[in-house]
Amino acid sequence: MSVPPTTAVEPPMSSMQAGVIVDYPASLDCIHCGLCLDDCPTYRLTGVEPQSPRGRIHLMRAVAEGRLDPEPGYVEAIDTCLVCRHCESVCPAGIHMGQMIEVARDGLNRVDPPRWTVRMARRIGLRGLLPSRARLSLVAGATRMLQRAGLTGVVAKMLGPLGAGLRDLPNVPPARERQRLPDFTPADGPGFGLVALHEGCVMPQLHGRVHRASVRVLAAAGDAVLGFSDATCCGALQAHNGDLESAREQARRTIAAFERKTADDGTTPVLISNSAGCGAHMKEYDRLLADDPEWAERAKTFVTRVQDFAEHLAEPGPRERLAQRLGRTDLGAVTYDDPCHLCHGQGVREQPRHLMSDVPGLDVVTLERPESCCGAAGLHALLRPDESRTVLAEKLRDLAASGASVLVTANPGCHLQYESGLQRTGSDVQVLHLAELLDRALDGAPT
Amino acid sequence: MALPYLEELRAIVGDAGLVTDRAGRLAYESDALSLEKQLPELVVLPLDTAQASAVMRVLSKHGVPIVPRGAGTGLAGGATPVAGGVSLSTARMREILEIDPVGRTARVQAGVVNAELTRRAAPHDLFYAPDPSSQAACTLGGNVANNSGGPHCFKHGATTRHVLGMIVVDADGEVIDLSHQGPDPDGFDLIGLIVGSEGMFGLVTEVTLKLVPIPDATETILAVFPSLDSACDTVTEAIARRLEPSAIEILDELTIDAVERSVFAAGYPREAKAVLLLECEGSAAEVEATSADLTELCQEHGCLEIRTARDDADRRRLWAGRKGAFGAMGRIAPDLYVADVVAPRTRLREIVRIATDICHERGLKVSNVFHAGDGNLHPNISYDRRDTDEVRRVLEAGELIMRACIERGGSLTGEHGVGLEKQEHMCHLFDESDLDAMRRAREALDPDLRMNPGKMIPIRGCREMRTPEPMPQGDDR
Repeated sequence: MSVPPTTAVEPPMSSMQAGVIVDYPASLDCIHCGLCLDDCPTYRLTGVEPQSPRGRIHLMRAVAEGRLDPEPGYVEAIDTCLVCRHCESVCPAGIHMGQMIEVARDGLNRVDPPRWTVRMARRIGLRGLLPSRARLSLVAGATRMLQRAGLTGVVAKMLGPLGAGLRDLPNVPPARERQRLPDFTPADGPGFGLVALHEGCVMPQLHGRVHRASVRVLAAAGDAVLGFSDATCCGALQAHNGDLESAREQARRTIAAFERKTADDGTTPVLISNSAGCGAHMKEYDRLLADDPEWAERAKTFVTRVQDFAEHLAEPGPRERLAQRLGRTDLGAVTYDDPCHLCHGQGVREQPRHLMSDVPGLDVVTLERPESCCGAAGLHALLRPDESRTVLAEKLRDLAASGASVLVTANPGCHLQYESGLQRTGSDVQVLHLAELLDRALDGAPT
Repeated sequence: MALPYLEELRAIVGDAGLVTDRAGRLAYESDALSLEKQLPELVVLPLDTAQASAVMRVLSKHGVPIVPRGAGTGLAGGATPVAGGVSLSTARMREILEIDPVGRTARVQAGVVNAELTRRAAPHDLFYAPDPSSQAACTLGGNVANNSGGPHCFKHGATTRHVLGMIVVDADGEVIDLSHQGPDPDGFDLIGLIVGSEGMFGLVTEVTLKLVPIPDATETILAVFPSLDSACDTVTEAIARRLEPSAIEILDELTIDAVERSVFAAGYPREAKAVLLLECEGSAAEVEATSADLTELCQEHGCLEIRTARDDADRRRLWAGRKGAFGAMGRIAPDLYVADVVAPRTRLREIVRIATDICHERGLKVSNVFHAGDGNLHPNISYDRRDTDEVRRVLEAGELIMRACIERGGSLTGEHGVGLEKQEHMCHLFDESDLDAMRRAREALDPDLRMNPGKMIPIRGCREMRTPEPMPQGDDR
């Protein structure tokens, strides 16, 4: 190489606009080593650099340095990321890809707004629907009526590309299963701790049974359980889709609602999330609100109270108490697939496995590449159904090879993705949330 | 701007096999040597030998230069695109075609990732020995092009000792099938010529590789030293005493700090000035004897502490830390210059010191992590490419380190290849007639010089290169 280099040294960040649409300082952490490539689901699928973490960061940096306009190829690179954050687990330089993609998408929404139809759909979905339990309930009820009348196919066709999601939706359970959790459930036996279970937006409508199982398991482990549905949506989907303004608003509402859960004597519950995506997002409220003087400190306090369901139960006290209550179940071979936002987002890997190993006689088999994404990826499965299914196909092959008859997960997105994929392929493998598995083992036959 | 050959290529590889838009191509403008950048005209990703051959016929007809690319993890700019040229990537050629557990061979497409082969061979109690630090991402085709090494090549040898056969497509698209070569091929040993040729003789599309049995016993030892000097001396003495571990690696203080702050934190002691990472493999008795000898040797050289990996998980952690070291330097500065030179193993201590002094005199931050057993040094210089003067000092230091090694009987590349980075420095090691011989070999296989042009062999005559040039000062360009 000649001295000095023949390549032009790039100009430093110049325009205000560039700084705002890309997290430029974060992009400088990447040293271009490429260790992330083979763990990125979109790179594995396509083999092309702009659909790899390294490529995406390279393009973000090029945009920030004024060498690239936010043109369609850049938008495609940023849009196709599944935000599974697998790259964060293998990056020696400690890249925060989730955060960088959120900032880049937020930036694109502002400098290059999508078509008005997309904007409208996002506005309705992210700002109108998700934050409102009442509206979500209305939609769930309407969907249930369509399903019972056998009309989902017709409506799906009318909705165009978005309709695929409707067709894949599992049957919406009856209204009684979609009700709020009780405000207070006492510990089942001697009481030790106080927790609040985050109900969220989509889960109460589709997975109320998971919430109820979670309450029973937490109570069996000695916790009194508060229902926490005041703020509805945590804002994760808004952030992942580049609407940071709404995401911040949801974060403030959630923090304020949680602060009201502090008892008169100052006791604060632990906020439990049984949805990996929500838990990972709520644990990062501090950086989301870091620039908000009124909320930064409150966010810092809040994040110390958030725990994943398995993370909490695997702590010595609850784990010991729960283990005493677990008995045999006849589920056959069971395997666990790590939700991305639990293993990569929260570093929770061993805890669910420890809890499963506490179920007497449970036949746990291993799954190849349990930390790779299933393709659900928040709204990705709805927005890009074909790609999402291709990513899932590899997981379904690994699942079949594992010989498991039950797949355990800990995130509603993965849960729905697997259920619809297994249904399409005619497999009879059953999908359970970890809470459902433990609930079935509660007070089962002793060893 | 419409490329005259675009539609012909599209008919061969389809849309999924092409990257045409500017943003997409920009992601290919460099490999892991990010100092050198060039936008390719087009990126083509064939699925197999037949597609690669058809693509290269079209490019031959139009006289287009071709730069082969694997995963782009190379550190010498071997896959940097050339102006007006096409980057030909093997990233979609990822089929393991055959594993023969009895014959202990594997036949793979060139884009198969190094670590993937080892993973797939494991159920047969076999592994693929060359293990570059980038093995989680780099391709076997890229390993062939650079004759890549890795920690365990101290015992097992670099890539060239593991290649049994290959299929190569030449610049005109002709398929040369060398996949059924015996141990002593009839006629010239073309495989030996092509391994390490950095994509200048053709595109390797398939490789037949030797697999090695997983040893009965493995022991990984971490020896903690109070100085880098004492760690270097220990290695020199281990070689003198003919001790044969399978890997001997050194990591210095700054490297340990960066690794320990990363996801690959391996439990290297933060207070150490240097650690030696040693691995012994073989029968249980051999391993026990060698590790006892090594432990004794380390203690003689003032080592503070010896740790042995407790289990496989512990061993994997120790190695993951070593292999993530390069990327972990992103915590120190936005860019890293990984020098790759070879020193005689009797002079490790001296050359490491010289390299460190050269960097410190220029106000540069240097860390050392290297394959000490092979004398393959990697002084890593952290810098920020936006600082023009710092870049100048880094390149100057790189050149001086290289010269110091050559003057003391070493060579200019251990395993990263020459690429663009060391092209001009070839003149320090070879004279004009050597380089002419290389040019003639190249012309025999690629008369139009379209395969990875402008790499490895210096373009200017060495006489001119050797005329002392004053180093440019400051930011005065």
